[in-house]
Amino acid sequence: MFADFQYLIATYGQSFIAAYLVSLRIAVLGFVGGFLVSILLTVARVSPIPPLRGAVTVYVEVFRNMPVLCLLVFIVYALPDLGIVADYEPSAILALVLVSSSFACENLRTGINTIDAGQIQAARSLGLGFGQIVGSIVLPQALRAVVQPMVTLAISVVISSSVGSLVPIAHKELTGLVAEINNAEALGVTTFLVAALMYVFTGLLIAFLGRRLERRLAIWR
Amino acid sequence: MAMTPTEAALFETTGPRARRRILIGTVLSAAALAALVAWIVYRFYIKGQLASQYWYFFAQLNVWEFIGMGLLGTMRAALGAGAIALVVGLILMLGRTSKFKPVSWLATAFIEFFRGTPTLLFIYAMFLVPAQMGLKVSTYWMVVIPVSAYASAVLAEVYRAGAAAVPKGQKEAGVSLGLTDWQNFRYVVMPQMFRIVTPTLVTQLVVVVKDTSFGYVVTYPELMVNAKVLIANFSSLIPVYLVIALIYILVNLAISRFANWLSRRQDVKVMDISEALPRGVDA
Repeated sequence: MFADFQYLIATYGQSFIAAYLVSLRIAVLGFVGGFLVSILLTVARVSPIPPLRGAVTVYVEVFRNMPVLCLLVFIVYALPDLGIVADYEPSAILALVLVSSSFACENLRTGINTIDAGQIQAARSLGLGFGQIVGSIVLPQALRAVVQPMVTLAISVVISSSVGSLVPIAHKELTGLVAEINNAEALGVTTFLVAALMYVFTGLLIAFLGRRLERRLAIWR
Repeated sequence: MAMTPTEAALFETTGPRARRRILIGTVLSAAALAALVAWIVYRFYIKGQLASQYWYFFAQLNVWEFIGMGLLGTMRAALGAGAIALVVGLILMLGRTSKFKPVSWLATAFIEFFRGTPTLLFIYAMFLVPAQMGLKVSTYWMVVIPVSAYASAVLAEVYRAGAAAVPKGQKEAGVSLGLTDWQNFRYVVMPQMFRIVTPTLVTQLVVVVKDTSFGYVVTYPELMVNAKVLIANFSSLIPVYLVIALIYILVNLAISRFANWLSRRQDVKVMDISEALPRGVDA
C-alpha cells in the first residue's frame, strides 16, 4: 500500500491538488451563493406578503427534499430540452446553490426565532418599518445565532461537491479524478483513502475555523 | 406552516398605511409569480414539451408499476441502510463514550472519517475496488454499505447528544443504587435516550433516502435508475424527471411530517445535530 501511495503521489500528485482546488471552487461558490440567496429568501419568508412567504416555503421544501444528484441530472440533461443550457461546472454550482440556500433559509429561520418578540415590538413602537427592523435588528442577530449550523452546512456542501463527478466537468473535481484513476489503473483502496482524507481534513478545518468565528460572533444571553 | 411569536410580531396589527402597502406588495408579487409560472409554461410550449408524445405513457399502468418498483428499490436500500445505521451507530456511540481510551479514539476516528467522506466517493470505491480484487459485491450492498456508513457516523452523534440530554440526576440515582456503568446505561440512560432521539432518527431517514439516489452510479434499480430506463424507452426527459423528483419530495415530506408528529407526541425536539454537538467537542 505504501508503494502504491508513492507511485500515486509521483504520478498524480499534481492532478490531485488541481482536482482538490476544483472541488473547493465548486463548494465555495455553491455555499457562498446559497448563503446570499438564503438571506433574500428569509426576508421574503418573514415578510407580510403572503404570496412571497408561500413561494419561499415551496422553494425550501422542494430543494431540501430532493437528492442533489436528481437536481444536477435534471439541470444538466433535462433543462436543455427547454432551451436552457449551462456548462457542467456552473450546473453543479447551481445545484449546490439551490440546495444549500434552502437549508440555509431553514437555519436562518431558526435563528430569527431565537430573537425575543419583545425586541421587535419595541422596534415597532419606536416607529421602525419592516425593512429597518429586519435589516438592523432581526438579521444581524439571526446571523450570529446560526454560525454553527451554517458551518455544518458548509461542510456538507464540500462533501456534496462530489456530485460533480457525475457530469463530465472539464477539469475533474476530486471524486471524479479518483474514479477516473481507478478506471485507468487498479490502485485499490489507496486513491480513495487519500481523497477521503482530503475531504475529512477539509471538514475538520472548516469546523475549527467555524468555532473560532462563533466565539467572536456569538451573543451570550 | 404556523408562525412563531417572533415572526408574528413583525407585522401583526398593522395600521391603514401598512395594510395598503401590504396589499400592493401582495398584488405585485402575485403578478410576478404568475408571470414566472407563465414563462415556464411558455418555455414548455415553444419547445414542444407539452406535446402528448412526452406525456402519454404516464397513462400506462406498467409505467407506474415500473416507477413503483424503483420506489421499492429506493425503500429497500433506505430501510436496509437505516436499520444497519441504528445498530452500528449505537455501537460507535458506545465506543466513543467508552472509558477505555484506545476504543474511544478508534470510534471517534471512525465517526469523523465516515462523517467527513462523501458517500459518493465511498460508492465509487465499492464499485471499483472489490472488483479489482476479484470480489463480487451486489449493487444493493454497493449502495447500502456506504450510505449506512455515513448514517451510522451521524446517528452515533445523535445518540451521544441524546444520552447527554438525559437528566444528570437520573444517572446519579443509578450510581447510588449500585448499578454498574453498563447497567446504568442499559436500564436508566438508554430507554430515555431512545425517547429523546426518536424524532431525530426519523428525520435522518430523509438523508438516507436521498443518499440512495447514488444507486444511479452503480445501476442499482432504484428511482433514478428506473427513471433513466423510462427516458431511454420514451425519450422524454423532463416529464420523467419531474415525476421522479416529485416522488422524492413527497416521500421525504411524509417522513418529516411523521418526525414532527412523533416530536409533538413525545414532547421532544428534533435535534439540530450541529447545535447539539459541534464537531470535535466532547459532550
